[in-house]
Parts: sequence; structure tokens; C-alpha cells
Amino acid sequence: MSATTGRPDVQLRATTGRRQFLNDRDDFVAEALEGFALAHPQLVSLHRDPDFVRRAPAGRRPGKVALVSGGGSGHEPLHTGFVGVGMLDAAVPGRVFTSPTALQVAAATRAVNTGAGVLHVVKNYTGDVLNFRIAAELATDDGVAVDQVLVEDDLATDPAVTGLDDGPGRRGTAAVVVVEKVCGAAAEEGAGLADLVALGRRTAQRSRTLSIALTAPTHPGERLPSFDLPEDEVEFGVGIHGERGVGRRAFSTAADLAEQLVTPVADAIEVQRGDAVLALVNGLGSTHPLELSVVFREVVRVLEARGVRVVRSLVGSPVTALDMAGVSVTLVPADDEVVRLWDAPARTAALTW
Amino acid sequence: MVTPRRPPRRTTVAAPERLELLQDGTPVPPVRGGRAADLDATRVRAWWLGFSEQVRHRSEELTELDRLAGDGDFGHNLRAAVRGADARLDRTRPGDVAGVFDAVTLAFLDTGGTSGPLLGMWFREFSRHGGQTLSTEGLADAARAGLDTVQRLGGAQLGDKTMVDAMAPAADALRDAATASVPVVAALGAAYRAAADGARGTEGLRARRGRASYVGDVARGVVDPGALAIAWFFERGTVV
Repeated sequence: MSATTGRPDVQLRATTGRRQFLNDRDDFVAEALEGFALAHPQLVSLHRDPDFVRRAPAGRRPGKVALVSGGGSGHEPLHTGFVGVGMLDAAVPGRVFTSPTALQVAAATRAVNTGAGVLHVVKNYTGDVLNFRIAAELATDDGVAVDQVLVEDDLATDPAVTGLDDGPGRRGTAAVVVVEKVCGAAAEEGAGLADLVALGRRTAQRSRTLSIALTAPTHPGERLPSFDLPEDEVEFGVGIHGERGVGRRAFSTAADLAEQLVTPVADAIEVQRGDAVLALVNGLGSTHPLELSVVFREVVRVLEARGVRVVRSLVGSPVTALDMAGVSVTLVPADDEVVRLWDAPARTAALTW
Repeated sequence: MVTPRRPPRRTTVAAPERLELLQDGTPVPPVRGGRAADLDATRVRAWWLGFSEQVRHRSEELTELDRLAGDGDFGHNLRAAVRGADARLDRTRPGDVAGVFDAVTLAFLDTGGTSGPLLGMWFREFSRHGGQTLSTEGLADAARAGLDTVQRLGGAQLGDKTMVDAMAPAADALRDAATASVPVVAALGAAYRAAADGARGTEGLRARRGRASYVGDVARGVVDPGALAIAWFFERGTVV
């Protein structure tokens, strides 16, 4: 009870910070995984200890190269939401914003291996890269053929921009969805491990993303966001872990903010007049679909002004940073192969066509 | 009348071989073949439990060092990993050296982050090079292979202010000991001294890898907690 008001403290606190639906912060991810599996029994099964989500038996394909991805939790629906026919065979979630352990990844890798090999799709973060590499070595020692595609699309952390030549390089962000989609479709068609690696790397290396945050996210069980942002500013060049961006810029109209994202990304992937792209407008957790549609309209406007055609798109929130308000724009050059694989059927919790 | 002669009573208080190492609450029996013999599973388990106890009691020191130079989670993570290893050892009761280090390896590979899994891959080489027993030669091979693995996966060079700065001199010391056919406990003593010197040497270094690299010169004057933990590990091997 508060001494000054006589009301329960929890009600007072509730007016000063974010409230969340949770029981116990230590069980938050595990309970969410259970709920996810309960919601999609026809698509996925949940393996416990070590924890990973894999396709339900009906979606498994003998002789197919298996795709495994994973990373810290807090980016949902990534990666669990993309487990299913046409995309991933397993997703391995760590604690919030923490890489899964090597044993988790190795167990998932062994579980989904059909004998045709396993492709790891990894976002470029030190912990993810290390634990997936170790898992690959453990699985390889058990006779599983494993190879990796590293997704490193975040333009804000490009060494050419930051000047850090011996740093960890560009972070992996929303382009991972495109890599999982095209490689997943190719694997379903029967592509071999080496071909999938080449396709994945080609796609990842040609993708770039840039993000803006309007508010920082709040960790499960915390009351306050991870950083404060003045009303008249936006955080430019953020990643997907609630960290600060590379700089602050003036808050402005959707048209103005979208242009600040699209133009550097289009420059970076060197699209020319007449080229076709796949555009992904991704909400970072608590940005409304109406806002995302407004941003997408501006993305198309800017690209059309450059003579670039948006031939495929995804507008939604597939790669989130908890409840961060913000948006990322990803562009991928769309050749015939990318378009065909993007259009191929997928049946997952977060993406189905 | 002849008084039977008794051997003179030994007055030494605590010869190293008489140190009581508690294992599950009971003293470890005297070492068969003497302390110069290769390490068997019982002694390696005692070595591990000594290290584990050290980490449990002194993890705050590691956390404090890491708080000054990294993100402050190293002590906590190491403690969680050794607890996991102890639990696995209790559960599996391995009968050979390879099995003891395998339990340790799995526990460390079951922790997130970067230093835990790297240590797991280091211990994995001790499992691979330790069969039924562990000789000085086996230790030297394990320490070299472990160092190579950690450097390959983590990318750290000597002088980057990481655990490598203790692992590398320890590996050199063990190689020298193997060449000179030094008994295994003495070899561990040499590894400890080399690792401790290496850990002390990290104090003056600027971090170029690991979390400490993000804070730059702030980390100068702070011993790297990973390197210190490696020195502790070899130190506990000198009393089994």
C-alpha cells in the first residue's frame, strides 16, 4: 500500500509504465512456446529440454534438406512462426534477446536431418554465430552434413558506414524472412544442400535493411523502456534488440521518414532504373497495420520515382523487437528465381499462401 | 627381553598426498600408484569439484572484474555452468577421464552467450584426449587442441585480453612438461603458474575481442575474468 494514497502500489505503478500479460518472467518464453504449440498443433510440435519447435509429422518430407534457424526470443513471429511446409523444419529459440545454446541447436539439427543435410540460417550476432557454428561441428561429428547461410542485411552497421573494419559487421535483421522463404521453397522442390547454400548466400548478400524506432521496447517484467526518446526525435538505424540506433533524427511525416530509409537502402543494393525489387515493410512490434500501409505507400512512391518496380512485397510485423514502435524497410533485387520461390506455397503460422 | 621395534612415527603434518579432498562428504582414498601416476577418473573428478567449489565461492570476484570491463554476467554464467556440470557428474557417474570432461563439456555447451560455449569446446578437447586416464602428454595435446579450437571459433589472438591469454601459456608449459617427461601433477603446477602469469598480464591490455572490446580503454587495469578462471582451473589440478 502506498503511504500517501492508501491505494495498492501496483495500481500506481501501472499508470507510469508498460503493463504486460505475464505470470512469471522466468517462465515467460517457455509459457509462450507452449501456447504457440497449442495454437498450431497441425503445423508444429514442441520439443522440450532442449527446447525447439519443429514441423508436425504431417509436414515432414523424407529426403529433403532440412532448414533450421533460431536466435533470441522477442522477435516473434520469427522464427517459430515460419516453421512449416515451404519454410523452416525447426526453429530454436533462446531466452529473450539471447542466442539459443549450442546443444539446443545441435539437438534440433539432428532431429530434423533426413540424411540429405541441414541448412542453418543464422542472423549475424556474435552469440548466434558462435553457437550455430559449434552446433554444426557437433552435428557434423555425428555424421550430419551441415552448412550455414549468414544473414547480414542491416545497413546501419555496415563497416562502410561505421568505419569499424574489425567489428562484427552488419547485423542480421528482417531479410532473414526472405532467405527462409526462398531457401525453404527451393528445399521443398528438392534442391541439394550446396545449391541451397549458394541461393541463400546470394539472396542474403544482395539484401539490405534500415530501421527507425519511435519508442524503445520494454523487456518482459520490466516497467520502463530500454531507452528514452524525446517527443520530437526518432532513433535512426536501430537493430532488433532494443538497443540505441546510430543516431537521432527529427520526427517527421511518414513520407519524409520512409524516404530516409528507402533511399540509402536502394543506393546500397545498387538498383537501376527498370530493376525489380521485393520490398518488406516490417513493423518492429507495436506499430499498427494502418501505419505500415502508409509507410509502404511511401516506399513504392520513392522507388517508382527512381524507376524501380516493386514486384513482390510483404507488409506486416514478421521480425519484431518486443513491443518497439518502429519500422524497417528491406529491399531485395527480385530476379525470376527469387520471385518464383517467393510465390511458391508456404504453410506456416505466420505466412501462408 | 626384546622390545619389538616400531617404525618411527611420521611427523609431517600435511604432505600433499595426505590432503583430504572431500568427495560426496567422504575423504578421497589415497592415490593408487602415488601422485606421480597419470590421473584417473576419481582424481579428475576431484580436480573438477575443487574448481567448481572455487567458482561457487569466488564467482563474485569474476563478476566484479567483468562488471568493470564487460557486461557483468561472466561470474553468474560460469557459476551456472559449473553447477550444471556438477549435476551431470552426479547423474552420470562417469568411470573414465573422457566421461568426466564430457559431462563438463555438455554443461558448458548448454549455456548461452559466448564464453560458456567456448569453454565447453575447450573442455571437449580434454574429453577427446583423456581416455581411461590422463597423462602429461594427453594434457599437453588437449590444451593445445583446446586453444586452437577456442581461437578458431572465437577469433581471439594472444594479447586480446581474453581467456586465450591464460590458455596459450598453459598449453606451452604443458608441452614443455611433456617433453621433459614431468609427472602430471607437476605439469599442472607449471600450467597453473603460466596461466596465472598470463591472466595477470591481461591487466595492462586493451580488449580487442569479447564484450570488453566495447568499452575500450576503460578495461585497462582490470584482469580478464576468463583468463583468471583458466588459472583457477589448473591450480585446482595441482592438489589431486
